[in-house]
Amino acid sequence: MTSETAQAEAEPQAATDIVPPLLRMSNVEVAYDKVFLAIKGVSLELNTGGMVALLGSNGAGKSTTLKTISGLLAPERGAVNRGSVELRGRDILPLPPPARVHLGIVHVLEGRHVFGHLTPDENLLAAFPTRGRRERLDELREQVYTYFPRLRERSRTKAGYLSGGEQQMLAIGRALMTEPNLLMLDEPSLGLAPMLVEEIFGIIREINKQQDVGILLVEQNAAAALEIVSDAYLLENGHVVMSGKADVLKQNPDVQEFYLGGTGKVDYHNVKHYRRRKRWLA
Amino acid sequence: MDIAYFIELLINGALTGMMYGLAALGIVLIYKSSGVPNLAQGAMVMLGAYFAWIAAAQWGIPLPFAIALAVVGMFLFGLFTERFLLRRMVGQPIIMIVMLTLGLEILLRGLGPGLFGAAPKSLDIGIGLAPIIIGDVFINRSYLVGAIVGVIMIGLALLFFRTRLGTKLRAVSDDHVASWSVGISVERAIAISWGLAGASAVAAGVMWGSVQGIDWTLSLLLFPAVAVVILGGLDSIYGVLVAGLIVGILGSVIPGYVDPIVGGGTRDVVTSLIILLTIIFRPHGIFGREDIERV
Repeated sequence: MTSETAQAEAEPQAATDIVPPLLRMSNVEVAYDKVFLAIKGVSLELNTGGMVALLGSNGAGKSTTLKTISGLLAPERGAVNRGSVELRGRDILPLPPPARVHLGIVHVLEGRHVFGHLTPDENLLAAFPTRGRRERLDELREQVYTYFPRLRERSRTKAGYLSGGEQQMLAIGRALMTEPNLLMLDEPSLGLAPMLVEEIFGIIREINKQQDVGILLVEQNAAAALEIVSDAYLLENGHVVMSGKADVLKQNPDVQEFYLGGTGKVDYHNVKHYRRRKRWLA
Repeated sequence: MDIAYFIELLINGALTGMMYGLAALGIVLIYKSSGVPNLAQGAMVMLGAYFAWIAAAQWGIPLPFAIALAVVGMFLFGLFTERFLLRRMVGQPIIMIVMLTLGLEILLRGLGPGLFGAAPKSLDIGIGLAPIIIGDVFINRSYLVGAIVGVIMIGLALLFFRTRLGTKLRAVSDDHVASWSVGISVERAIAISWGLAGASAVAAGVMWGSVQGIDWTLSLLLFPAVAVVILGGLDSIYGVLVAGLIVGILGSVIPGYVDPIVGGGTRDVVTSLIILLTIIFRPHGIFGREDIERV
Protein backbone atom coordinates (compact mmCIF):
# COMPACT_ATOMS: atom_id res chain seq x y z
CA MET A 1 0.00 0.00 0.00
CA THR A 2 2.59 2.51 1.04
CA SER A 3 4.88 1.50 -1.77
CA GLU A 4 2.04 1.99 -4.24
CA THR A 5 1.34 5.56 -3.17
CA ALA A 6 5.00 6.29 -3.24
CA GLN A 7 5.10 5.07 -6.82
CA ALA A 8 2.06 7.10 -7.77
CA GLU A 9 3.69 10.18 -6.35
CA ALA A 10 6.95 9.48 -8.05
CA GLU A 11 5.42 9.00 -11.49
CA PRO A 12 4.52 12.54 -12.45
CA GLN A 13 7.90 13.64 -11.21
CA ALA A 14 9.58 11.07 -13.42
CA ALA A 15 7.37 12.02 -16.36
CA THR A 16 8.53 15.64 -16.35
CA ASP A 17 12.07 14.42 -16.28
CA ILE A 18 11.67 12.00 -19.14
CA VAL A 19 9.56 14.10 -21.50
CA PRO A 20 12.12 16.12 -23.42
CA PRO A 21 11.40 19.75 -24.28
CA LEU A 22 9.81 20.54 -27.64
CA LEU A 23 13.09 21.94 -28.90
CA ARG A 24 16.54 21.57 -27.48
CA MET A 25 19.53 23.04 -29.21
CA SER A 26 22.84 22.34 -27.58
CA ASN A 27 26.14 23.94 -28.30
CA VAL A 28 25.57 24.40 -32.01
CA GLU A 29 28.24 25.90 -34.20
CA VAL A 30 27.43 26.89 -37.79
CA ALA A 31 29.80 28.09 -40.49
CA TYR A 32 29.03 29.52 -43.92
CA ASP A 33 31.33 28.48 -46.74
CA LYS A 34 33.29 26.50 -44.14
CA VAL A 35 34.93 29.75 -43.10
CA PHE A 36 32.61 32.26 -41.58
CA LEU A 37 31.37 31.26 -38.13
CA ALA A 38 27.86 32.63 -37.75
CA ILE A 39 26.95 31.02 -34.43
CA LYS A 40 29.51 29.71 -32.02
CA GLY A 41 28.00 27.30 -29.57
CA VAL A 42 24.37 28.35 -29.15
CA SER A 43 22.18 26.41 -26.72
CA LEU A 44 18.51 27.02 -26.19
CA GLU A 45 15.36 25.30 -25.09
CA LEU A 46 11.67 25.72 -25.79
CA ASN A 47 8.85 23.84 -24.13
CA THR A 48 5.66 22.67 -25.78
CA GLY A 49 3.38 25.65 -26.15
CA GLY A 50 6.10 27.99 -24.92
CA MET A 51 6.92 31.34 -26.39
CA VAL A 52 10.50 32.47 -26.58
CA ALA A 53 12.19 35.43 -28.22
CA LEU A 54 15.63 35.50 -29.72
CA LEU A 55 16.97 39.02 -29.55
CA GLY A 56 20.09 40.64 -30.82
CA SER A 57 21.49 43.15 -33.26
CA ASN A 58 22.33 42.67 -36.94
CA GLY A 59 24.61 39.74 -37.58
CA ALA A 60 24.24 38.33 -34.09
CA GLY A 61 23.24 34.94 -35.51
CA LYS A 62 19.50 35.01 -34.94
CA SER A 63 18.44 34.06 -38.46
CA THR A 64 21.19 31.46 -38.67
CA THR A 65 19.84 29.85 -35.52
CA LEU A 66 16.38 29.56 -37.08
CA LYS A 67 17.80 28.22 -40.34
CA THR A 68 19.74 25.61 -38.42
CA ILE A 69 16.51 24.39 -36.89
CA SER A 70 14.48 24.45 -40.12
CA GLY A 71 17.32 23.05 -42.25
CA LEU A 72 17.48 26.00 -44.64
CA LEU A 73 21.22 26.52 -44.21
CA ALA A 74 22.18 24.39 -47.18
CA PRO A 75 20.98 26.78 -49.93
CA GLU A 76 23.25 29.42 -48.40
CA ARG A 77 26.18 27.03 -48.14
CA GLY A 78 25.97 26.88 -44.38
CA ALA A 79 26.75 23.76 -42.39
CA VAL A 80 26.56 22.66 -38.78
CA ASN A 81 30.06 21.93 -37.44
CA ARG A 82 29.07 20.60 -34.06
CA GLY A 83 26.23 20.47 -31.59
CA SER A 84 22.78 18.94 -31.77
CA VAL A 85 19.22 20.01 -32.42
CA GLU A 86 16.48 17.82 -31.03
CA LEU A 87 12.73 17.98 -31.45
CA ARG A 88 11.12 16.14 -28.56
CA GLY A 89 14.34 14.24 -28.04
CA ARG A 90 14.75 13.30 -31.70
CA ASP A 91 17.84 14.41 -33.54
CA ILE A 92 16.65 16.38 -36.56
CA LEU A 93 19.94 17.59 -38.03
CA PRO A 94 20.21 14.78 -40.64
CA LEU A 95 16.70 15.49 -41.98
CA PRO A 96 16.05 17.60 -45.11
CA PRO A 97 13.79 20.64 -44.65
CA PRO A 98 10.52 19.05 -45.88
CA ALA A 99 10.91 16.16 -43.44
CA ARG A 100 11.29 18.64 -40.60
CA VAL A 101 8.08 20.36 -41.68
CA HIS A 102 6.31 16.99 -41.45
CA LEU A 103 7.59 16.70 -37.89
CA GLY A 104 5.95 20.03 -37.13
CA ILE A 105 8.69 22.64 -37.54
CA VAL A 106 7.83 25.59 -39.73
CA HIS A 107 9.90 28.65 -40.47
CA VAL A 108 8.41 31.99 -41.51
CA LEU A 109 11.27 33.56 -43.39
CA GLU A 110 12.57 37.05 -42.96
CA GLY A 111 11.25 39.27 -45.72
CA ARG A 112 8.04 37.24 -45.96
CA HIS A 113 8.83 35.26 -49.12
CA VAL A 114 5.22 34.76 -50.20
CA PHE A 115 4.66 33.06 -53.55
CA GLY A 116 4.15 36.31 -55.43
CA HIS A 117 2.49 34.91 -58.54
CA LEU A 118 0.02 32.81 -56.59
CA THR A 119 -3.10 34.15 -54.90
CA PRO A 120 -3.35 33.94 -51.10
CA ASP A 121 -5.72 31.01 -51.57
CA GLU A 122 -3.10 29.21 -53.65
CA ASN A 123 -0.32 30.18 -51.25
CA LEU A 124 -2.22 28.42 -48.49
CA LEU A 125 -2.96 25.43 -50.72
CA ALA A 126 0.70 25.09 -51.68
CA ALA A 127 1.70 24.71 -48.03
CA PHE A 128 -0.91 22.05 -47.35
CA PRO A 129 0.31 18.44 -47.65
CA THR A 130 -0.58 16.93 -51.05
CA ARG A 131 -2.21 13.90 -49.49
CA GLY A 132 -4.10 15.81 -46.80
CA ARG A 133 -7.87 15.56 -46.62
CA ARG A 134 -10.03 18.09 -48.41
CA GLU A 135 -12.07 18.89 -45.27
CA ARG A 136 -8.90 19.51 -43.28
CA LEU A 137 -7.71 21.91 -45.97
CA ASP A 138 -10.94 23.88 -45.75
CA GLU A 139 -10.82 23.91 -41.96
CA LEU A 140 -7.26 25.17 -41.85
CA ARG A 141 -7.89 27.77 -44.53
CA GLU A 142 -10.96 28.98 -42.65
CA GLN A 143 -8.88 29.21 -39.50
CA VAL A 144 -6.22 31.31 -41.23
CA TYR A 145 -8.88 33.65 -42.61
CA THR A 146 -10.37 33.96 -39.14
CA TYR A 147 -7.04 35.06 -37.75
CA PHE A 148 -6.43 37.37 -40.69
CA PRO A 149 -9.78 38.55 -42.08
CA ARG A 150 -7.97 40.98 -44.34
CA LEU A 151 -6.54 38.07 -46.33
CA ARG A 152 -9.97 36.72 -47.10
CA GLU A 153 -10.90 40.00 -48.79
CA ARG A 154 -7.83 39.75 -51.00
CA SER A 155 -7.83 36.00 -51.46
CA ARG A 156 -7.96 36.30 -55.26
CA THR A 157 -5.30 38.96 -55.80
CA LYS A 158 -1.78 37.83 -56.63
CA ALA A 159 0.16 37.81 -53.38
CA GLY A 160 2.91 39.91 -54.96
CA TYR A 161 0.52 42.85 -55.01
CA LEU A 162 -0.47 42.64 -51.35
CA SER A 163 0.85 45.23 -48.90
CA GLY A 164 3.79 44.39 -46.67
CA GLY A 165 1.55 43.75 -43.69
CA GLU A 166 -0.78 41.53 -45.68
CA GLN A 167 2.18 39.57 -47.02
CA GLN A 168 3.45 39.04 -43.50
CA MET A 169 0.01 37.80 -42.47
CA LEU A 170 -0.05 35.49 -45.45
CA ALA A 171 3.40 34.14 -44.61
CA ILE A 172 2.26 33.33 -41.07
CA GLY A 173 -1.04 31.89 -42.30
CA ARG A 174 0.76 29.77 -44.86
CA ALA A 175 2.98 28.37 -42.11
CA LEU A 176 -0.11 27.45 -40.10
CA MET A 177 -1.33 25.29 -43.00
CA THR A 178 1.37 22.78 -42.09
CA GLU A 179 -0.15 22.35 -38.60
CA PRO A 180 3.10 23.08 -36.76
CA ASN A 181 4.16 22.30 -33.21
CA LEU A 182 6.94 24.80 -33.49
CA LEU A 183 6.40 28.06 -35.33
CA MET A 184 9.54 30.08 -35.97
CA LEU A 185 9.10 33.69 -37.00
CA ASP A 186 12.00 35.70 -38.38
CA GLU A 187 11.47 39.44 -37.96
CA PRO A 188 7.71 39.55 -38.49
CA SER A 189 7.71 43.27 -37.66
CA LEU A 190 10.25 44.19 -40.33
CA GLY A 191 9.17 47.25 -42.27
CA LEU A 192 5.68 47.40 -40.79
CA ALA A 193 3.89 50.33 -39.17
CA PRO A 194 3.73 50.19 -35.35
CA MET A 195 -0.05 49.67 -35.38
CA LEU A 196 0.33 46.70 -37.66
CA VAL A 197 3.15 45.27 -35.55
CA GLU A 198 0.85 45.37 -32.56
CA GLU A 199 -1.93 43.65 -34.51
CA ILE A 200 0.33 40.89 -35.80
CA PHE A 201 1.97 40.31 -32.42
CA GLY A 202 -1.49 40.06 -30.87
CA ILE A 203 -2.40 37.36 -33.36
CA ILE A 204 0.87 35.52 -32.77
CA ARG A 205 0.05 35.40 -29.08
CA GLU A 206 -3.44 34.15 -29.88
CA ILE A 207 -2.07 31.39 -32.09
CA ASN A 208 0.28 30.39 -29.30
CA LYS A 209 -2.54 30.20 -26.76
CA GLN A 210 -5.28 28.62 -28.86
CA GLN A 211 -3.25 25.99 -30.62
CA ASP A 212 -0.58 25.21 -28.11
CA VAL A 213 2.07 25.92 -30.72
CA GLY A 214 5.57 26.61 -29.45
CA ILE A 215 6.80 29.91 -30.84
CA LEU A 216 10.36 31.02 -31.43
CA LEU A 217 10.36 34.68 -32.29
CA VAL A 218 13.36 36.45 -33.76
CA GLU A 219 13.13 40.20 -33.41
CA GLN A 220 15.14 43.36 -33.57
CA ASN A 221 12.17 45.14 -32.10
CA ALA A 222 13.01 43.90 -28.61
CA ALA A 223 10.53 46.15 -26.82
CA ALA A 224 7.58 44.69 -28.72
CA ALA A 225 8.86 41.13 -28.49
CA LEU A 226 9.49 41.21 -24.73
CA GLU A 227 5.87 42.25 -24.23
CA ILE A 228 4.48 38.97 -25.55
CA VAL A 229 7.05 36.26 -24.80
CA SER A 230 7.68 34.49 -21.52
CA ASP A 231 11.41 33.97 -21.98
CA ALA A 232 14.13 35.43 -24.15
CA TYR A 233 17.66 34.75 -25.26
CA LEU A 234 20.06 37.51 -26.12
CA LEU A 235 22.47 36.77 -28.94
CA GLU A 236 25.62 38.71 -29.59
CA ASN A 237 28.34 37.75 -32.08
CA GLY A 238 27.08 34.19 -32.31
CA HIS A 239 26.91 33.60 -28.56
CA VAL A 240 24.02 33.54 -26.14
CA VAL A 241 25.10 36.28 -23.74
CA MET A 242 22.02 36.42 -21.58
CA SER A 243 18.80 34.52 -21.13
CA GLY A 244 15.89 34.42 -18.75
CA LYS A 245 12.33 35.51 -18.07
CA ALA A 246 11.15 38.39 -20.22
CA ASP A 247 10.13 40.43 -17.15
CA VAL A 248 13.57 40.09 -15.62
CA LEU A 249 15.36 40.95 -18.84
CA LYS A 250 13.24 44.04 -19.28
CA GLN A 251 14.61 45.37 -15.98
CA ASN A 252 18.23 44.62 -16.82
CA PRO A 253 20.10 47.91 -17.35
CA ASP A 254 22.24 46.54 -20.17
CA VAL A 255 19.23 45.26 -22.03
CA GLN A 256 17.54 48.61 -21.56
CA GLU A 257 20.59 50.42 -22.81
CA PHE A 258 21.20 48.33 -25.91
CA TYR A 259 17.83 46.96 -26.93
CA LEU A 260 15.11 49.05 -25.38
CA GLY A 261 16.43 52.45 -26.34
CA GLY A 262 18.15 53.41 -23.10
CA THR A 263 16.93 55.09 -19.94
CA GLY A 264 17.17 58.61 -21.26
CA LYS A 265 20.11 59.52 -19.06
CA VAL A 266 22.95 58.64 -21.38
CA ASP A 267 26.08 60.69 -21.31
CA TYR A 268 26.64 61.00 -25.03
CA HIS A 269 30.20 62.04 -24.58
CA ASN A 270 31.07 58.59 -23.26
CA VAL A 271 28.67 56.53 -25.24
CA LYS A 272 31.14 55.00 -27.66
CA HIS A 273 33.52 54.03 -24.97
CA TYR A 274 30.74 52.62 -22.86
CA ARG A 275 29.43 50.51 -25.70
CA ARG A 276 32.80 49.13 -26.50
CA ARG A 277 33.38 48.13 -22.90
CA LYS A 278 29.98 46.53 -22.57
CA ARG A 279 30.03 44.44 -25.71
CA TRP A 280 30.13 40.75 -25.00
CA LEU A 281 32.98 39.71 -27.19
CA ALA A 282 34.07 36.15 -26.84
CA MET B 1 -4.99 36.53 -105.18
CA ASP B 2 -6.40 33.06 -104.76
CA ILE B 3 -8.44 33.14 -101.59
CA ALA B 4 -8.72 29.37 -101.28
CA TYR B 5 -4.92 29.07 -101.38
CA PHE B 6 -4.66 31.65 -98.62
CA ILE B 7 -7.24 29.91 -96.43
CA GLU B 8 -5.52 26.60 -96.96
CA LEU B 9 -2.18 28.06 -95.86
CA LEU B 10 -3.92 29.67 -92.91
CA ILE B 11 -5.67 26.56 -91.68
CA ASN B 12 -2.79 24.17 -92.21
CA GLY B 13 -0.49 26.72 -90.61
CA ALA B 14 -2.72 26.97 -87.56
CA LEU B 15 -2.83 23.18 -87.29
CA THR B 16 0.96 22.91 -87.63
CA GLY B 17 1.25 25.62 -85.01
CA MET B 18 -0.74 23.53 -82.54
CA MET B 19 1.64 20.68 -83.23
CA TYR B 20 4.58 22.99 -82.54
CA GLY B 21 2.75 23.79 -79.32
CA LEU B 22 2.83 20.11 -78.49
CA ALA B 23 6.62 20.17 -78.68
CA ALA B 24 6.83 23.50 -76.86
CA LEU B 25 4.68 22.36 -73.94
CA GLY B 26 7.52 20.40 -72.37
CA ILE B 27 9.75 23.46 -72.29
CA VAL B 28 7.06 25.46 -70.51
CA LEU B 29 6.34 22.64 -68.04
CA ILE B 30 9.95 22.57 -66.92
CA TYR B 31 10.46 26.32 -66.94
CA LYS B 32 7.28 26.92 -64.99
CA SER B 33 8.44 24.79 -62.09
CA SER B 34 12.19 25.14 -62.03
CA GLY B 35 13.11 28.15 -64.11
CA VAL B 36 15.32 26.07 -66.40
CA PRO B 37 14.90 26.60 -70.17
CA ASN B 38 15.22 23.05 -71.47
CA LEU B 39 17.00 23.06 -74.81
CA ALA B 40 17.00 19.25 -74.88
CA GLN B 41 13.26 19.16 -75.59
CA GLY B 42 13.82 18.61 -79.33
CA ALA B 43 15.83 15.48 -78.68
CA MET B 44 13.30 14.36 -76.08
CA VAL B 45 10.58 14.58 -78.75
CA MET B 46 12.76 12.45 -81.03
CA LEU B 47 13.42 9.96 -78.25
CA GLY B 48 9.70 9.79 -77.41
CA ALA B 49 8.96 8.92 -81.02
CA TYR B 50 11.67 6.24 -81.05
CA PHE B 51 10.28 4.75 -77.84
CA ALA B 52 6.78 4.53 -79.32
CA TRP B 53 8.17 3.03 -82.53
CA ILE B 54 10.17 0.36 -80.66
CA ALA B 55 7.15 -0.66 -78.62
CA ALA B 56 4.78 -0.67 -81.60
CA ALA B 57 6.87 -1.84 -84.55
CA GLN B 58 9.62 -3.87 -82.87
CA TRP B 59 7.73 -5.49 -80.02
CA GLY B 60 4.38 -5.62 -81.78
CA ILE B 61 2.44 -4.07 -78.96
CA PRO B 62 -0.91 -2.56 -80.05
CA LEU B 63 -0.51 1.16 -80.69
CA PRO B 64 -2.41 2.65 -77.71
CA PHE B 65 -0.44 0.47 -75.30
CA ALA B 66 2.79 1.16 -77.14
CA ILE B 67 2.22 4.89 -76.73
CA ALA B 68 1.35 4.42 -73.05
CA LEU B 69 4.56 2.45 -72.60
CA ALA B 70 6.54 5.19 -74.34
CA VAL B 71 4.93 7.77 -72.04
CA VAL B 72 6.05 5.77 -69.01
CA GLY B 73 9.52 5.37 -70.52
CA MET B 74 9.90 9.06 -71.23
CA PHE B 75 8.52 9.99 -67.81
CA LEU B 76 11.29 7.89 -66.29
CA PHE B 77 13.81 9.38 -68.71
CA GLY B 78 12.77 12.84 -67.48
CA LEU B 79 13.09 11.79 -63.84
CA PHE B 80 16.57 10.35 -64.41
CA THR B 81 17.71 13.42 -66.33
CA GLU B 82 16.71 15.59 -63.43
CA ARG B 83 18.15 13.27 -60.82
CA PHE B 84 21.56 12.67 -62.39
CA LEU B 85 22.18 15.81 -64.42
CA LEU B 86 20.12 18.73 -63.24
CA ARG B 87 20.25 18.15 -59.50
CA ARG B 88 24.03 18.39 -59.54
CA MET B 89 23.68 21.84 -61.03
CA VAL B 90 21.58 23.34 -58.24
CA GLY B 91 23.02 26.71 -57.35
CA GLN B 92 25.12 26.96 -60.52
CA PRO B 93 24.70 29.96 -62.83
CA ILE B 94 21.79 29.51 -65.22
CA ILE B 95 24.10 29.67 -68.24
CA MET B 96 25.77 26.46 -67.08
CA ILE B 97 22.41 24.75 -66.86
CA VAL B 98 21.39 25.97 -70.32
CA MET B 99 24.65 24.65 -71.72
CA LEU B 100 24.02 21.35 -69.99
CA THR B 101 20.62 20.93 -71.64
CA LEU B 102 22.11 21.95 -74.97
CA GLY B 103 24.81 19.33 -74.51
CA LEU B 104 22.16 16.74 -73.75
CA GLU B 105 20.30 17.72 -76.91
CA ILE B 106 23.40 17.24 -79.05
CA LEU B 107 24.27 13.97 -77.32
CA LEU B 108 20.82 12.52 -77.89
CA ARG B 109 20.72 13.69 -81.51
CA GLY B 110 23.84 11.64 -82.04
CA LEU B 111 22.82 8.67 -79.93
CA GLY B 112 19.33 8.28 -81.44
CA PRO B 113 20.37 7.32 -84.98
CA GLY B 114 23.35 5.46 -83.55
CA LEU B 115 21.20 3.16 -81.47
CA PHE B 116 18.16 2.81 -83.69
CA GLY B 117 19.62 3.18 -87.18
CA ALA B 118 19.77 6.32 -89.28
CA ALA B 119 17.08 5.36 -91.82
CA PRO B 120 13.74 7.07 -91.15
CA LYS B 121 11.20 4.76 -89.50
CA SER B 122 7.58 5.01 -90.37
CA LEU B 123 4.97 5.02 -87.66
CA ASP B 124 1.45 4.47 -88.90
CA ILE B 125 -1.08 5.62 -86.36
CA GLY B 126 -4.05 4.91 -88.60
CA ILE B 127 -4.75 8.36 -89.95
CA GLY B 128 -5.57 8.22 -93.65
CA LEU B 129 -3.47 10.19 -96.09
CA ALA B 130 -6.41 11.57 -98.02
CA PRO B 131 -6.90 15.25 -97.21
CA ILE B 132 -10.16 16.59 -95.91
CA ILE B 133 -11.64 18.78 -98.60
CA ILE B 134 -13.92 21.66 -97.71
CA GLY B 135 -14.87 23.58 -100.82
CA ASP B 136 -11.56 24.30 -102.54
CA VAL B 137 -9.52 23.99 -99.36
CA PHE B 138 -7.41 20.92 -98.69
CA ILE B 139 -6.77 20.19 -95.04
CA ASN B 140 -4.07 17.74 -93.98
CA ARG B 141 -5.73 15.02 -91.91
CA SER B 142 -2.62 14.26 -89.82
CA TYR B 143 -2.15 17.91 -88.96
CA LEU B 144 -5.77 18.10 -87.90
CA VAL B 145 -5.44 15.15 -85.54
CA GLY B 146 -2.12 16.50 -84.26
CA ALA B 147 -3.67 19.90 -83.60
CA ILE B 148 -6.53 18.29 -81.68
CA VAL B 149 -4.03 16.32 -79.58
CA GLY B 150 -2.11 19.57 -79.06
CA VAL B 151 -5.15 21.44 -77.83
CA ILE B 152 -6.08 18.56 -75.52
CA MET B 153 -2.58 18.43 -74.04
CA ILE B 154 -2.53 22.19 -73.52
CA GLY B 155 -5.91 21.93 -71.79
CA LEU B 156 -4.64 19.12 -69.57
CA ALA B 157 -1.59 21.20 -68.66
CA LEU B 158 -3.83 24.13 -67.73
CA LEU B 159 -5.93 21.87 -65.52
CA PHE B 160 -2.85 20.29 -64.01
CA PHE B 161 -1.52 23.61 -62.78
CA ARG B 162 -4.75 24.15 -60.86
CA THR B 163 -4.43 20.91 -58.88
CA ARG B 164 -2.64 20.69 -55.54
CA LEU B 165 0.47 19.25 -57.13
CA GLY B 166 0.39 21.84 -59.90
CA THR B 167 0.02 24.66 -57.37
CA LYS B 168 3.06 23.35 -55.52
CA LEU B 169 5.02 23.30 -58.77
CA ARG B 170 4.11 26.92 -59.41
CA ALA B 171 5.10 27.75 -55.85
CA VAL B 172 8.48 26.13 -56.44
CA SER B 173 9.04 28.25 -59.54
CA ASP B 174 8.31 31.35 -57.45
CA ASP B 175 10.61 30.71 -54.52
CA HIS B 176 12.70 27.64 -53.77
CA VAL B 177 13.60 28.56 -50.21
CA ALA B 178 10.05 29.47 -49.27
CA SER B 179 8.88 26.16 -50.76
CA TRP B 180 11.32 24.26 -48.58
CA SER B 181 10.24 26.24 -45.56
CA VAL B 182 6.65 25.03 -45.86
CA GLY B 183 7.53 21.43 -46.59
CA ILE B 184 7.44 21.25 -50.38
CA SER B 185 10.18 19.01 -51.70
CA VAL B 186 11.70 21.22 -54.37
CA GLU B 187 13.76 18.36 -55.81
CA ARG B 188 10.72 16.15 -56.21
CA ALA B 189 8.66 18.95 -57.77
CA ILE B 190 11.34 19.62 -60.37
CA ALA B 191 11.74 15.90 -61.06
CA ILE B 192 8.00 15.61 -61.66
CA SER B 193 8.06 18.50 -64.11
CA TRP B 194 10.86 16.80 -66.07
CA GLY B 195 8.88 13.58 -66.07
CA LEU B 196 5.81 15.37 -67.41
CA ALA B 197 7.90 17.11 -70.05
CA GLY B 198 9.15 13.68 -71.10
CA ALA B 199 5.61 12.37 -71.29
CA SER B 200 4.43 15.33 -73.37
CA ALA B 201 7.40 14.78 -75.69
CA VAL B 202 5.90 11.39 -76.60
CA ALA B 203 2.72 13.07 -77.81
CA ALA B 204 4.74 15.46 -79.95
CA GLY B 205 7.04 12.70 -81.17
CA VAL B 206 4.23 10.37 -82.19
CA MET B 207 2.24 13.05 -84.01
CA TRP B 208 5.24 14.48 -85.86
CA GLY B 209 6.73 11.05 -86.39
CA SER B 210 3.58 9.87 -88.13
CA VAL B 211 3.76 12.89 -90.44
CA GLN B 212 7.42 12.99 -91.41
CA GLY B 213 8.83 9.65 -90.27
CA ILE B 214 11.02 9.03 -87.26
CA ASP B 215 14.67 9.98 -87.49
CA TRP B 216 16.97 12.54 -85.93
CA THR B 217 15.36 15.43 -87.82
CA LEU B 218 12.48 15.27 -85.35
CA SER B 219 14.78 16.99 -82.89
CA LEU B 220 14.87 20.00 -85.21
CA LEU B 221 11.42 20.76 -83.80
CA LEU B 222 13.36 22.41 -81.02
CA PHE B 223 13.69 25.46 -83.24
CA PRO B 224 9.98 26.28 -83.81
CA ALA B 225 9.25 25.13 -80.24
CA VAL B 226 11.72 27.68 -78.88
CA ALA B 227 10.12 30.32 -81.08
CA VAL B 228 6.72 29.41 -79.61
CA VAL B 229 7.84 29.62 -76.00
CA ILE B 230 9.77 32.84 -76.49
CA LEU B 231 6.84 34.51 -78.23
CA GLY B 232 4.25 33.12 -75.82
CA GLY B 233 6.28 33.60 -72.67
CA LEU B 234 8.42 30.87 -71.16
CA ASP B 235 6.07 30.17 -68.29
CA SER B 236 2.67 30.53 -69.93
CA ILE B 237 0.53 27.63 -71.08
CA TYR B 238 -1.88 30.03 -72.80
CA GLY B 239 1.19 31.44 -74.47
CA VAL B 240 1.87 28.04 -76.05
CA LEU B 241 -1.62 28.06 -77.53
CA VAL B 242 -1.56 31.60 -78.90
CA ALA B 243 2.09 31.72 -79.94
CA GLY B 244 1.74 28.26 -81.47
CA LEU B 245 -0.99 29.61 -83.71
CA ILE B 246 1.02 32.70 -84.62
CA VAL B 247 4.25 30.84 -85.34
CA GLY B 248 2.37 28.19 -87.30
CA ILE B 249 0.35 30.62 -89.39
CA LEU B 250 3.23 33.00 -90.15
CA GLY B 251 5.45 30.01 -90.89
CA SER B 252 2.93 28.76 -93.41
CA VAL B 253 1.42 31.86 -95.04
CA ILE B 254 4.63 33.82 -95.61
CA PRO B 255 6.58 30.91 -97.16
CA GLY B 256 3.44 30.08 -99.16
CA TYR B 257 3.86 33.35 -101.07
CA VAL B 258 7.56 34.07 -100.78
CA ASP B 259 9.04 30.60 -101.31
CA PRO B 260 8.08 30.40 -105.00
CA ILE B 261 9.90 33.69 -105.57
CA VAL B 262 13.10 33.06 -103.61
CA GLY B 263 13.20 29.31 -104.06
CA GLY B 264 12.40 28.04 -100.58
CA GLY B 265 13.70 28.10 -97.03
CA THR B 266 11.68 31.08 -95.85
CA ARG B 267 10.04 29.21 -92.98
CA ASP B 268 13.21 29.09 -90.89
CA VAL B 269 13.81 32.75 -91.60
CA VAL B 270 10.32 33.60 -90.38
CA THR B 271 10.84 31.51 -87.25
CA SER B 272 14.16 33.16 -86.44
CA LEU B 273 12.74 36.60 -87.07
CA ILE B 274 9.96 35.83 -84.58
CA ILE B 275 12.55 34.88 -81.97
CA LEU B 276 14.71 37.94 -82.60
CA LEU B 277 11.88 40.48 -82.75
CA THR B 278 10.23 39.10 -79.61
CA ILE B 279 13.43 39.30 -77.64
CA ILE B 280 14.07 42.84 -78.78
CA PHE B 281 10.58 44.26 -78.35
CA ARG B 282 8.91 42.10 -75.72
CA PRO B 283 11.45 39.99 -73.85
CA HIS B 284 8.82 38.38 -71.61
CA GLY B 285 6.76 37.25 -74.56
CA ILE B 286 3.03 37.84 -74.92
CA PHE B 287 1.89 36.20 -71.69
CA GLY B 288 5.17 35.69 -69.88
CA ARG B 289 5.20 37.05 -66.40
CA GLU B 290 7.31 39.94 -65.41
CA ASP B 291 8.53 39.96 -61.87
CA ILE B 292 6.05 41.78 -59.71
CA GLU B 293 7.41 45.09 -58.50
CA ARG B 294 5.25 46.53 -55.81
CA VAL B 295 5.41 50.27 -55.33
